Amino acid sequence: MEPDLADDAELLSAHGAGDARAFARLYDRYDRPCFHFIRRLLGSAHADAAEDLHQETWIAISRNAGAFDAAKASFSAWLFTVARHKVFDHFRRQKVAVLAGDEAALMLVPDPAASPLEAVVSRDLARRIIAAVEALPLEQRGALIMSAHAGLSLEEIAHATGVAVETAKSRLRYARAKLRQVFAGERSVHV
Amino acid sequence: MSDPDVTPDPIDAAYVEAEAVLSDEAARAARRARVLAAVTRQGARDAPAARARLWRRGGWLVAASVSGLALVIASQLYRPPPLPLPSKPAPAATSTTGPTTAPALPAPALALPTKATARGGKSEAAPPPVAVAPSPAPPPVVVALLPAPPPAAPSDAAPPPRAFLGGAAAAPPPPPPGADFVASQQAPARRADQALAGGTGNGTAVTELVVTAEKRETHLESVPVAITAFTSSSRDAVGINPAAVDPGAQLRAAAAAGRTEDMEALLHQGAPVDAPDAAGDTALMISIQADHPAAAALLRRHGASLDRTNHAGESARGMAAERGDAALDQAIGLGP
Repeated sequence: MEPDLADDAELLSAHGAGDARAFARLYDRYDRPCFHFIRRLLGSAHADAAEDLHQETWIAISRNAGAFDAAKASFSAWLFTVARHKVFDHFRRQKVAVLAGDEAALMLVPDPAASPLEAVVSRDLARRIIAAVEALPLEQRGALIMSAHAGLSLEEIAHATGVAVETAKSRLRYARAKLRQVFAGERSVHV
Repeated sequence: MSDPDVTPDPIDAAYVEAEAVLSDEAARAARRARVLAAVTRQGARDAPAARARLWRRGGWLVAASVSGLALVIASQLYRPPPLPLPSKPAPAATSTTGPTTAPALPAPALALPTKATARGGKSEAAPPPVAVAPSPAPPPVVVALLPAPPPAAPSDAAPPPRAFLGGAAAAPPPPPPGADFVASQQAPARRADQALAGGTGNGTAVTELVVTAEKRETHLESVPVAITAFTSSSRDAVGINPAAVDPGAQLRAAAAAGRTEDMEALLHQGAPVDAPDAAGDTALMISIQADHPAAAALLRRHGASLDRTNHAGESARGMAAERGDAALDQAIGLGP
């Protein structure tokens, strides 16, 4: 299988010109991270909405393809911006209070130098990891998924979430620290 | 020195692997088919949707353009025939004192009461509203020629002549309902007719033609295009209350057109900043969709909500995000 070397912006432009295959290629690149981003931000309580919000996100991308400016932001940053707002709009419709995480408190979480996890070996452990991710404060969760799953840079995460780069950096650091704390507990249980 | 936050982290890898372990490829394939089909369907619907949005944003402009075009066409296609000359033409000076009876003109009714008002200087004494349209049957018309106003100061260059057919500002009393009210001043009418033909006899071109007429209501249903203009008094007489016009709708219309000065005035008059339309869209949402950052910024300064949702569940915040316009984001306070 040949690698897909076309640029995201080129594919989006081709989609705007009527190339349906271009949009499918673009979708395939970001389907997983986008869906998981939405699904994890929603959490288990709103998991049923993930499919709809994911679809709404891609429809919004398609409809606004002409407005995308690659000089202002990367496609992935734009995609996650849209997805994030779809989730937040859903929360507002459902009257869900989006609580800001206690990021300062997370500064106190110890950061074990050695990661306890080298691989995920079972579905049970995978579920625990996902549960730990979903337990993160919303913005930290989003930053982690954008970085880990979609490979967004700090600048792109900052753009997608409308915050300064330092803020995005802090959120990512706190998210990882919190997960390490959880995984350290997992190790103590399993060892 | 590398930044630990941008280097691959084992935690990140563990999370991604966990997602992979739990992923359902069958569900993913179904989702892919559903999303791409929805995008295709949406693309097919976008063209009419775009037209609908365009109409919603600029409907007033389109309506004004159509009305103006109808006015021009009517004035070009339906020129009144020459008036029959009386045996003794009345002096022109009497034309402003009141019309006299003359045969009805088989002419269309063209209403420009504001022009006549300006000429006559009696804006509140204007006649009732008039219709603009060709008529299958000769309607009763008010015909009078208004004299040109005296020049403000002596000048070698005389102002271009303006032919007026109509008696709005000459302040003839409006006719009783159902009664034919036909007045004519033959000499002025002849001059007006000459003006319609392209000159006044002395070689000077007509630059402006104002015709007013009155059409009986019994014939209005046969009028293909009708434009009614109201003075404040006639407007009050028929019960149109400007205050009753929804200020929220006015604000949304101004936001759609990016008329920030009008928006400012409306907001200072107490127009509700977040009043939604039938679709639940607020002025802020409309200004974002219409790509008017200045209008959006103005609304935000007046407290417009970013998070209020329309009937489709969309918020102004989400709409701005979808546009991906940094300048817009900054204008409404979403920029970094």
